[in-house]
Parts: sequence; C-alpha cells; structure tokens
Amino acid sequence: MGEGMGTCNHKWEMTDILYGYLVVEGCPRCGGRASFFSTEPVAPIDEYKEGDHFWIYLGSSQATKFNLKCTKCDDVVHLDDLMGLMMSTCEEPQCEVANIAKSEGKGTSVYVALCANSTHFSGKCISAKGIDALNKYFNQNIKTPGKKILVVPCSKCCDIDICKGIVIADVGLTDIY
Amino acid sequence: MKISEIAKKTGLKAINESEDKVIEGVYISDMASDIITNAKANVLLITLQTHKTLIAAANLIDVAAIVFVKGKKPGNDIIELANKVGIALFGTEDDTWTFASKLTRLGIQ
Repeated sequence: MGEGMGTCNHKWEMTDILYGYLVVEGCPRCGGRASFFSTEPVAPIDEYKEGDHFWIYLGSSQATKFNLKCTKCDDVVHLDDLMGLMMSTCEEPQCEVANIAKSEGKGTSVYVALCANSTHFSGKCISAKGIDALNKYFNQNIKTPGKKILVVPCSKCCDIDICKGIVIADVGLTDIY
Repeated sequence: MKISEIAKKTGLKAINESEDKVIEGVYISDMASDIITNAKANVLLITLQTHKTLIAAANLIDVAAIVFVKGKKPGNDIIELANKVGIALFGTEDDTWTFASKLTRLGIQ
C-alpha cells in the first residue's frame, strides 16, 4: 500500500510508454498548428475541415508518449495532451520562455512541453499537475551537481512558429547512414 | 571508470572539452524517443546519430558522454550545444559492435 496521495513525496517513473508518430497539421486560414500522436504503422496523412479550420498535413516524425506514475502511492499523471518536448534555444526578447531561461542562468536547461493545439484557442495547455510531475521526474534523476531541467508549458512561447528550440523527435534518421 | 580512462583505453578521439565524469553504464541508441524513455543519467551513449535532437534528448536524461561511431562527425552547432550543456563528445572509427566489445573487455556493463 502506498502513501496517501496528498502527502506523498512522489517518486515518478514513466508508464504507458507508446512509440508512434507525432503528426503536425496546420490551418492556412488561421495559421494555427495542431498535432496528434498516432500509433498506426504509417503516419496518417489527411486533409479535413473542422469548424472554421481546414487542417492540412505538415509533417510527422517518430516520437514517444508516456504517463508518469508514482512508485510510492501509485498516483498516475496522465499526459494525454503532451505531444512532445522542445529544448528551448529561443532568445526573442518578447518570449517568456527565453526570459525564464535567461533568469535561470547557466546550469538550467529549459524544455517546452508542447500541447496538441498551439493556438490555445480553447485556453487549454498542459496541466499544471503535468508540468509539475515532469519537472520532478526529470530532475529526480539528474546526477550532475548544479544542473537543473525546467519544463514549462508551450502557452509561454512567444509564437510557436517563431519560438526557437529543438523538438525531441526522431528526425534526421534517414541521414545517419 | 572515468571518461578519460575509457577514452585512453579504447582510442577515442575527443571532439570537445568537458568534465571528466565517472561513467555508470552504457546505452546504445540512434533514436531520441528511445533515449528519453530508456537511458539513465551518467551513461555513455553510443550512436550513429549526429542530429541536434540527440543532444536535446541526452541533456534531458543527464547523459555524461556521447560516442559517435563509424567516423561520424557532428556539426559545429551540435558541438556548441554539447559544450553549453556540458556533454562530452567523442568519435571513433569503430562500428557500434566493435566499440561496445571494447567496453565489455574493460569490464563496463
């Protein structure tokens, strides 16, 4: 029996790990970006209308999805909305992520948790609980003194098309040989 | 065993300068998605992959050092990024199996 969830000093581990494709779509009408995770053998390529949007396929790459589970109390944080992680390299003065990285200093690497819809029209992004668990998970395993990983939601990006970073996805695999 | 000792005994060529950490394990992968779900902190990562995403994934896990096999050379932007996050980079002409065998002979599991 684990500790009570409310008082537990969580120790997170990855669970429900899925390997598949991160498919990115764009709406030429509003400039929005949407993405979804597919476990189909081949990444689906579709064009379709959804309300005022007309989504077209922009690209895909192999990626992974996971949830986090506490090994002490069995609490599970579902990261259904997490489409990927992007290591921020943004230096735009108006970008909150860039400013966070600047204020954190040299030992901190800032990663942006990318949600399914970069336009955030619905007001939703990765949950605060999800961001908190991601931060604890990645930092609990670090062994380098003074090193810190800071995960922030993509709602803090200046603009998903301008904000600079390296998305962790399996791009460039055809170049390795 | 420290990175410098492994490098000396296996003939690795240093690509950048970094802290001489103690290696606690080895992981072989060319996929960023695999690295973030399976690699552990302070491992030596052996790979063919020289894309920037590899550094982004390795840094997230706190990988100590990366060895590029078969003479693969990362670009300057990748070396700069590795320097920024403190990941040691090495190169070898060996293929993955040959280099991994050398590590096994050194007693590294």
